[in-house]
Amino acid sequence: MAAASSSDSDCGRAESAQLFPSSPSNEASSKWLDAHYDPVANIHTFSSCLALADLHGDGEYKLVVGDLGPGGQHPRLKVLKGPTVLTESPLPALPAAAATFLMEQHEPRTPALALASGPCVYVYKNLRPYFKFSLPQLPPNPLEQDLWNQAKEDRIDPLTLKEMLEGIREKAEVPLSVQSLRFLQLELREMEAFVSQHKSKSIKRQTVITTMTTLKKNLADEDAVSCLVLGTENKELLVLDPEAFIILAKMSLPSVPVFLDVSGQFDVEFRLAAACRNGNIYILRRDSKRPKYCIELSAQPVGLVRVHKVLVVGSTQDSLHGFTHKGKKLWTVQMPAAILTMNLLEQHSRGLQAVMAGLANGEVRIYRDKTLLNVIRTPDAVTSLCFGRYGREDNTLIMTTRGGGLIIKILKRTAVFVEGGGEAGPPPAQALKLNVPRKTRLYVDQTLREREAGTAMHRTFQTDLYLLRLRTARAYVQALESSLNPVSVTAREPLKLHAVDWRDSDGYGTRKKTVCFSNCGQPGG
Amino acid sequence: MTKLRSFRRHCLLPRTQFPASAESQKPRLKKAQEFPILEKQNWLIHLHYIRKDYEACKAVIKEQLQETQGLCEYAIYVQALIFRLEGNIQESLELFQTCAVLSPQCADNLKQVARSLFLLGKHKAAIEVYNEAAKLNQTDWEICHNLGVCYIYLKQFKKAQEQLHNALHLNRHDLTYIMLGKIHLLEGDLDKAIEIYKKAVEFSPENTELLTTLGLLYLQLGIYQKAFEHLGNALTYDPTNYKAILAAGSMMQTHGDFDVALTKYRVVACAVPESPPLWNNIGMCFFGKKKYVAAISCLKRANYLAPFDWKILYNLGLVHLTMQQYASAFHFLSAAINFQPKMGELYMLLAVALTNLEDPENAKRAYAEAIRLDKCNPLVNLNYAVLLYNQGEKQGALAQYQEMEKKVHLLQDSSSLEFDAEMVDMAQKLGAALQVGEALVWTKPVKDTKSKHRTTSTSKAASLQQPLGSNQALGQAMSSAAAYGKLPSGAGGTSHLTKPPSLPLEPQPTVEAHPNEASAQIREK
Repeated sequence: MAAASSSDSDCGRAESAQLFPSSPSNEASSKWLDAHYDPVANIHTFSSCLALADLHGDGEYKLVVGDLGPGGQHPRLKVLKGPTVLTESPLPALPAAAATFLMEQHEPRTPALALASGPCVYVYKNLRPYFKFSLPQLPPNPLEQDLWNQAKEDRIDPLTLKEMLEGIREKAEVPLSVQSLRFLQLELREMEAFVSQHKSKSIKRQTVITTMTTLKKNLADEDAVSCLVLGTENKELLVLDPEAFIILAKMSLPSVPVFLDVSGQFDVEFRLAAACRNGNIYILRRDSKRPKYCIELSAQPVGLVRVHKVLVVGSTQDSLHGFTHKGKKLWTVQMPAAILTMNLLEQHSRGLQAVMAGLANGEVRIYRDKTLLNVIRTPDAVTSLCFGRYGREDNTLIMTTRGGGLIIKILKRTAVFVEGGGEAGPPPAQALKLNVPRKTRLYVDQTLREREAGTAMHRTFQTDLYLLRLRTARAYVQALESSLNPVSVTAREPLKLHAVDWRDSDGYGTRKKTVCFSNCGQPGG
Repeated sequence: MTKLRSFRRHCLLPRTQFPASAESQKPRLKKAQEFPILEKQNWLIHLHYIRKDYEACKAVIKEQLQETQGLCEYAIYVQALIFRLEGNIQESLELFQTCAVLSPQCADNLKQVARSLFLLGKHKAAIEVYNEAAKLNQTDWEICHNLGVCYIYLKQFKKAQEQLHNALHLNRHDLTYIMLGKIHLLEGDLDKAIEIYKKAVEFSPENTELLTTLGLLYLQLGIYQKAFEHLGNALTYDPTNYKAILAAGSMMQTHGDFDVALTKYRVVACAVPESPPLWNNIGMCFFGKKKYVAAISCLKRANYLAPFDWKILYNLGLVHLTMQQYASAFHFLSAAINFQPKMGELYMLLAVALTNLEDPENAKRAYAEAIRLDKCNPLVNLNYAVLLYNQGEKQGALAQYQEMEKKVHLLQDSSSLEFDAEMVDMAQKLGAALQVGEALVWTKPVKDTKSKHRTTSTSKAASLQQPLGSNQALGQAMSSAAAYGKLPSGAGGTSHLTKPPSLPLEPQPTVEAHPNEASAQIREK
């Protein structure tokens, strides 16, 4: 990373600021160089809104952040170069996803930036607004349309309209428009005004984008033209043409997509995995309009990453699962804390692909299949992650934290991930000594005494016990005779116990004695 | 950028206008003419929800609900989910019902209503709603599964099984297997339960809960090889699994690997320091290692943590007998008998204690009770015979001796159970003293040689049975009682004679380990 390494002062500041991520001794053995840490970078975002790209075609990779702003109030598009913010512009609505992709074959081959937000995709070139794609309106319910048309011509009174609309809502396949839903909420007296105000409008149904990713169009090359793949709130997946922005393909899902993963090329063959809100992951192929395979997780997915041919899914049950592309479960790894975000780590020089998972306990864990390669401890829980070329440095890890901090780390060129780099062997607790209660000298003495005079002790005890019982009985009889017997608050317990005690005395020693024990405690209370 | 900016204004309108009064709202609405998209921020709500960032989630939900005047179904849905997580089940139920009103065709809403009902303990009502939901979605395993669980709570096991099998048919999930296995356990059908768990492990070979349960079931059935295999697998995947460690540790104890078991227990001691079975097992490990004081400390801690557990009291009694603290042993044993009056061996130990406390009358009674309760343990009769012999009642001793012989024959025929060398030795001596020796001697030596062969040659299972620890305990008893050779005379002879009973106890710690998790009823069986 040119920016960070050239300005030494900057590095120094960063290092002094981070006493926590790794102690100096750790630093040497760590695989990562700490390039930058700013705890107050004010970046609040998701992994899906981070993208790295050479936006200006100058070989200097920038970081694009679709920032939701603190509390999701001031969405901004930020472009970072090194540790500094290059440009910052306000966004019309919260960004759901950011992606960079090549739109056409022409030189210079600078990638465009796509930002999905609400029902639109905003496309930027050279960081200038270039195109705005809006999702097409959804077809309204014909019956509903019909009713509003009637209302327009005043052939129907508001009350009937309401009844009819309610009827549609009960059983219709196509949901009602917002206008109708609003209308159904109204009081009787407000209806008239509402109808007259809105009847001339055509009813609309609009959906929004929930997730977005890119898919190579017809070449597998690194710098091939890509299509945008959108997931929408009305349970559809759309593939957009990168030049004309027309919908090339439309697929429907049983639920709303949350995370997408695509491999292959649109014109040849592709595989699309969509993690959905119902906790299932659907896998589609090029020719399938409907999902071909379904993975049921029985928990919500929190991330979806494909490593070579294995789909790695993080679930809300704090575990990572590996699945084949046909939906067969391969393995499960339990995490020590809740997973907040996941992304792919790809080290081209060594041909390594691994999964990074940011956990709620402030760790970032890197797994290849089910083996832990590396654990990075961060001062705050990492909420978004991204790995790739940044500046001029090939292997850079960018993390943003829950508190809005930004952490940039560079993978050392000598670093090799080996299995067992994380934790291996027996759990650390096994090395701790057992906390066995100590016994005193007195205890030992008493033990010896009991050995010597056990029989005598036993007899004394038994005698005392009989005496105690006798006294108890006497006191009891006396109480009965003088009508001073205690009235039990709980009605049955004390009196009943005495009776049991005496009847039991014809048993053998064992039972007699044990009952006595319980008796000893009871008379007092 | 102009395009974008104008869009921004649009978007902000409803937000800013909301706090304004109703009058100012109306004229503006006319101009705006736009209703906000209801689902605009569903994706954000969902992302916050799966990250378990409930505060942020609630903030977005609140905003969204204000903006849409409570029409956004997903916001309500997630709010209800959060309520439920926070324990406000009644509120969640009401909100889910609202969702069901907003979109009555959605099976998911009904499922959640039913789930909340289920959590409120209204199983019948939940079943009704689930049935309703099943009408809307016939291929949902979750509905079938949950119906099955509801029926379990209503004790309608037949129906529950049917529903759970349906669920498995639709889609296989570990949870369904676990529930199905539970039904069989509740019905007391171990074999069927094992069958189910076997299938489950086949389906999901890395689920430690399944592996552990299956291991424990095998342990209960005495199939030690398989039990150890499954428990070992569970520990491979999760080296800190509490149940598996305890069970595996107890098996190691039976083998005499006390040090290995203790190392394993350290992990548990760190994770669950207040577990009574853990401290019981640790105590018995020390007992096996002849560290009696440590054993007593640990057992006393276990007893402190679970004062009503008769097994811990039993072990305490045993250790105190070994320590020749007969008076203490007496108290622990009589307490154990109070909690578990149906176990012959307890009475036998009590009798041993009483014999040593020079109370032969009560000892005889205890023996009689032990014989009444325990129909197959020859030790009881042997000990009784020794006592009678020492008391000069040769006739009675002979009768008990013959009784013991019968039991030995039975055991020999039915199982591969081995007899402790100590016991065999004692029996031979007693036989000689009673002058029935010549006739009897053949039984034991034959058996003895046989058993020796077995231990060396046959499977582990057989050797497992041999309680190593007990031998050590015996050895200790021997050394303390010097007049070993002189059977017939004096109380001293009895004291060591009677000690052999500690043998049968040894297997105890093994059994001890699991009852807590594998539920005690199996023991009862």
